[in-house]
Amino acid sequence: MRTRVLLHSLALLVIGTLVAGAAPLAPTNAQASRQIRELVMVTWPQAGDPQQFEAARIAADGMRKLGLKVTVRTMPWEQLADYIWYNRTKWDMTTWQMVGRPERSDPDEILVNLFSSSTAKDGYNFIGFINPKYDELAQAQRSATDPEARKKLVYEAQRMLADQQPYTFLVNPKSIYAFNNQVWDAKTIVEQKGIGIKNFWTFIQAAPKGAQKDMVLNAQDPTIAINPLYISGKVDSWITELIWDRLMRVGPDGLPRPWAASAVTWATPTTVDVTLRPGMRWHDGKPLTAEDVIFSFMAPKGGKVPMYKPFVANIADIKKVNDTTLRFTLEKPQASFLTSTLGKVNLVPRHVWEPMLQSIEGKKDTAEQLQEKAPIGSGPFKFVSWTRGQEVVLEANTQHWAAPKMHRWILRTVANVEASLGGLRNGELNFLSDYLGDPSVLAGLSRQNPAITVVASTDIGFQFIGYNERRAPFNDPTFRKALSMAIDRTMIRLVAYKGYGVIADSPVSHALEFWHAPGLPQIPYNVQAARELLKKAGYDWDGQGRLLYPASQTESLEVAR
Amino acid sequence: MTRSSSRWIVQRLAQLALVLWVIATILFLIFRLMPGNPLVAFIDPNFTAEQQRALIHQFGLDLPLWQQYLIFLKESVTGNLGQSFFYKAPVSQLVWETLPNTLILTLGSVIIAFLIGTVAGAFLAWKRGTAAEAAGISVVVALRAAPEFWVGMILLAVFSFSLRWFPSSGTASPGVHYASLGAQLVSVDFLRHLALPLVTFVLYLQGLPLLLMRSNMLDVMEEEFVVMARMKGLPEARILLRHAARNALLPVATAFALVIGYSLSGDVVVENVFSWPGLGRLLVKAVSSKDYPLAQGAFLVIAALAILMNLLADLVYTWLDPRVSYAKR
Repeated sequence: MRTRVLLHSLALLVIGTLVAGAAPLAPTNAQASRQIRELVMVTWPQAGDPQQFEAARIAADGMRKLGLKVTVRTMPWEQLADYIWYNRTKWDMTTWQMVGRPERSDPDEILVNLFSSSTAKDGYNFIGFINPKYDELAQAQRSATDPEARKKLVYEAQRMLADQQPYTFLVNPKSIYAFNNQVWDAKTIVEQKGIGIKNFWTFIQAAPKGAQKDMVLNAQDPTIAINPLYISGKVDSWITELIWDRLMRVGPDGLPRPWAASAVTWATPTTVDVTLRPGMRWHDGKPLTAEDVIFSFMAPKGGKVPMYKPFVANIADIKKVNDTTLRFTLEKPQASFLTSTLGKVNLVPRHVWEPMLQSIEGKKDTAEQLQEKAPIGSGPFKFVSWTRGQEVVLEANTQHWAAPKMHRWILRTVANVEASLGGLRNGELNFLSDYLGDPSVLAGLSRQNPAITVVASTDIGFQFIGYNERRAPFNDPTFRKALSMAIDRTMIRLVAYKGYGVIADSPVSHALEFWHAPGLPQIPYNVQAARELLKKAGYDWDGQGRLLYPASQTESLEVAR
Repeated sequence: MTRSSSRWIVQRLAQLALVLWVIATILFLIFRLMPGNPLVAFIDPNFTAEQQRALIHQFGLDLPLWQQYLIFLKESVTGNLGQSFFYKAPVSQLVWETLPNTLILTLGSVIIAFLIGTVAGAFLAWKRGTAAEAAGISVVVALRAAPEFWVGMILLAVFSFSLRWFPSSGTASPGVHYASLGAQLVSVDFLRHLALPLVTFVLYLQGLPLLLMRSNMLDVMEEEFVVMARMKGLPEARILLRHAARNALLPVATAFALVIGYSLSGDVVVENVFSWPGLGRLLVKAVSSKDYPLAQGAFLVIAALAILMNLLADLVYTWLDPRVSYAKR
């Protein structure tokens, strides 16, 4: 009887402790304190993205040397993105990355959408960087159609960002690709600035050396859609770039060049004259006309092509001057129009898409739900087949003026990183186009096997730590600058990125030599100087070495959950 | 068919519908109550507030939860499993395209694993007490304990990358196309691609039927009728096969149906290692990117298959063992 009572009370005690322990702690700030709260940095789990995880840990270590209490919290990507995007007042710091794409060879998208106050509430300025002078600068570079004048403005914008440190820029990573040099003539493989060797120019110029005339390449993610009016993913964009042509394309030098157009000129700051290349045909044999081009740019202006609508929003009107010349009239001057619109919008056949779009008028569907069984474009490759989840096969369009030298382009979905390496080694793949594993393993493979050439190129993209400027102390540029000085970015480059990257100092990558501002402050790792900077701004340290706000400011926020 | 057994079948079908409804409801709630948001896959520097609102409306997520539930039920009953948020294609089409690959791999592996397992299990029971049995048991248990992706990677490394006997990914060689599913199934190319994933899965699955069969056999061989058969002078092999094994097989038949149900989860791992374009991979991606219609639809199809398998198992059981009958007397 007594043992039973004892056991019952013990059980109640254990349960009670567990319940009390699980109850949320009441806020402990009984009186206002100058001590800066515990700060939280969110990042990917180690298995998901070892580079971002390691970079976060190294950065947090550096911040601790300033007297801050920093916790690194990991979340799966979907949860992290949801947290950062839809809970803009709740988080402190995050690691994040901008991925490189050919259209981002023009810095307009990055400079405006990431840092303008107009995109702070719902758009990509999720850090909430509000700076009216920067807004002016960003808009000015957008309308400066003279390249040299615009370059000066772009440089000035980068200097302002370097001074304000809304992000701590970490690295421009190197994208790594490999190919079998016994199958492909290495001299015909093109390295595009900021993109690497896996690019449109390589695909049309690569010359096969021997009996194997097909390029077999890999992607980790399956193809979602092959639709010129749907931006469905990075892998899908490789395919749409080949099947459909555009008026302009970004060249290997990172600058736009006429493609389906033979000439493109600015008549006035708001008018562009485009001369079409003669003799272009669709894959079904019909000729490509000026009406097709007008349709391709006007269709997204309706509600049925939502992802391309922002890119044609600035087009007021397109007039057909004659069979081969069109005049685009813009609402406002837009310097990046050539790259971000003429280099992005796919030319689609009106005789195929007009009836399809009409069939969904009045319904909830958009063009994204319309998947052609056999997509028709006018590009250098023709669609052959798509086996869902497994492969996409394209063949060379011999009628094209820039007909490829290979016979077929075959994209295989290989979900397993090791299998993609093995496939390269045993000949199943002859171009490694998607490799997110350890670069040193690939380098080792290349040393063992001289048939494999590896090329690592500095990417347009960049990795960074974003600070939520809606929450003190991140609203203070001096504080942010001190954080940047306390982060050992050389260690991040060498340890997290294994040396495959260059330290970034701007959202415009080093790879974009034309646009990257020279002489930006490099912010070397110097904890002592960071502490002095904070001291000069009025920050102080308490008896335990914890960083305190300047006098007259107290901690008003809870620890981020 | 008697009236009582046809009533039994009707009863079971009603049960099936009930279970499916419960599963559908649970799936619906689980995905929507999980943290996360299908819109995050579209985050991009050009992602405007207008686009976000349009997407929510397109996905039907702006409706109240109970309305979304009723629409989901109504559509599922008519066979319309909705439209994938990302593929923008009907879920039934996506499932239809990938299900055959998964079924071939899973059913094929389970059938072969059970065939090998039951024969080997009976054999090991016969050889009780010998060194062969001890070695056999160790190998079986080791294979069962080894994680599938590890076994798969080893097979890949040895048979595909080093020896180059088998291809390393997919169901067909690059650029190869088949006229029909039937033509594909009998082609050498497909069988070569199927070999490694199948062997990986079989090695993993064989543990259960083998050990189950063996322990059943050991029990049955102690029974009186076996002793009687020995006394009658029947050959040992005949006793094993005709008398003992048939009785020992009954629990294994039940296990067969259950294993098909849960092997669909192990199938996801094998599909990832060998880049096998099946339902498993589709499902994992759908769940992690919060593609509710695809995840719900695919899970529902798998659940329906598992329940159907259970029903079949019950029927097979009555055939194997005439003493068992579900019909009311």
